[in-house]
Amino acid sequence: MSIDDTIYAYAVGRIRALETRLVDRARLERMIDASSAEEALKVLAESDYANAIAELTDVHDFESILAAELKNTFDLIFDISPRPELISIMALRYDVHNLKVLFKAKYLGVKSDLLMLVGSLDLDKMEYAVSEDDYLDLPPMLRQAAEGISEDFLLNRDPQVIDLYLDRVLYDQLVTSARENGSKFLEGLFVRQIDLTNLRSLVRVKRMGLDRELLTKIFLPHGSIQLDRLTAMLDEPLESLITMLSMSDYADLAAEGVRDWIDKGTASRLEKLSDDYITAYLKPSKWTPFGLEPLIGYLWAKEI
Amino acid sequence: MTGTEIALIGAALAVGLAGIGSAIGVGIVGQSASGLVTEDPDKFGQTLLLQALPGTQGIYGLLAGFIIMQNIGIIGDELLVLTVPQGYAFLMASIPIAIVGLVSGIYQGRVSASAVGLVAKRPEELGKGIVYAVMVETYAVLALLATIMLLFGIPL
Repeated sequence: MSIDDTIYAYAVGRIRALETRLVDRARLERMIDASSAEEALKVLAESDYANAIAELTDVHDFESILAAELKNTFDLIFDISPRPELISIMALRYDVHNLKVLFKAKYLGVKSDLLMLVGSLDLDKMEYAVSEDDYLDLPPMLRQAAEGISEDFLLNRDPQVIDLYLDRVLYDQLVTSARENGSKFLEGLFVRQIDLTNLRSLVRVKRMGLDRELLTKIFLPHGSIQLDRLTAMLDEPLESLITMLSMSDYADLAAEGVRDWIDKGTASRLEKLSDDYITAYLKPSKWTPFGLEPLIGYLWAKEI
Repeated sequence: MTGTEIALIGAALAVGLAGIGSAIGVGIVGQSASGLVTEDPDKFGQTLLLQALPGTQGIYGLLAGFIIMQNIGIIGDELLVLTVPQGYAFLMASIPIAIVGLVSGIYQGRVSASAVGLVAKRPEELGKGIVYAVMVETYAVLALLATIMLLFGIPL
């Protein structure tokens, strides 16, 4: 125990109280049974979402409730965490999400997703940077990616580069920051997310009949499954992927998820299993008495 | 150093170390409890009970310190003149409650703080949380017992 974990005592006590107000199964069922959106919203108002709902003007604008609540949650956890820098690692994802939305809006002329207020960067600055093609104000790693995207897009006119560049930078940064802060727990979380993303990429590339060049391009480093093991799978049937993973932590997930993908042709089961897998990784946070884990577990519970 | 001075070091250690253990333990539970009470003020009474549990080590330490002071006459009629070996005997006798009080106070605090989390989820299970914390208490009581037996066994 290098760092005294009892510095988290206050934060964990508070999270324990908040966890009782998460939307549980019983409440969710009452919402499903509700006759209208207004009724369902009333049920939700009994939970922790009450504040966000009070600010709501249009009942059907529930996406913005969720976004607002996520923002509240992040602010709260950031405030009560004795090491807020670890929480800002978790917020990185939203900076990258916002950049993606802005780039897509610029190159494709569509506004596909909501901008999230959670990130640590100023949204106006980011909007300005993307629209003026001037990325000097962004943090170095995002700046590199953004410059890469704008150059690449000029050459190839392929909007896929946006996700490609930014995902790579995101996970690279997540793992590096977790290591810098000496958080084995966060590092483990990100490595698992990277592995799951890589697995999904592999299956997707294979089903579309594309080549290893693409897989190499979208492969995220830092995972526990190496690139060459994945590219080797390209020449074999998908069933052998299940065999390869049968000795790893992902055995059950691969067996059920990949099988379902082969049979039904949709990734939804694998996506669901991936979420479940991460939830299982975070499960011990429910009974860890002190430390960062309960805070991250609570964030995850709010995110999905 | 005279025997009396060495015996007084023993008294100081018993009161001091066991007191530090209790202070840290009560402190941890207090932080955890304020977290819970921020969100749910009705739980104050229950968490106060949990916070008090790691406080006993400090009392045991004080008790051991009192017995030493009484035996050597600091409290009472006349101050005894102790030989150096007698002084060391008092010092040694205070060690069990000093060390066990320090460590068990901290760990009882951790258990009690976890019990605060338990009360947050299931307030009706407060009793079980207390039982877990009291298990740690056992060893502080045993240490106090050893210290008292040693103290009363020292020939003066």
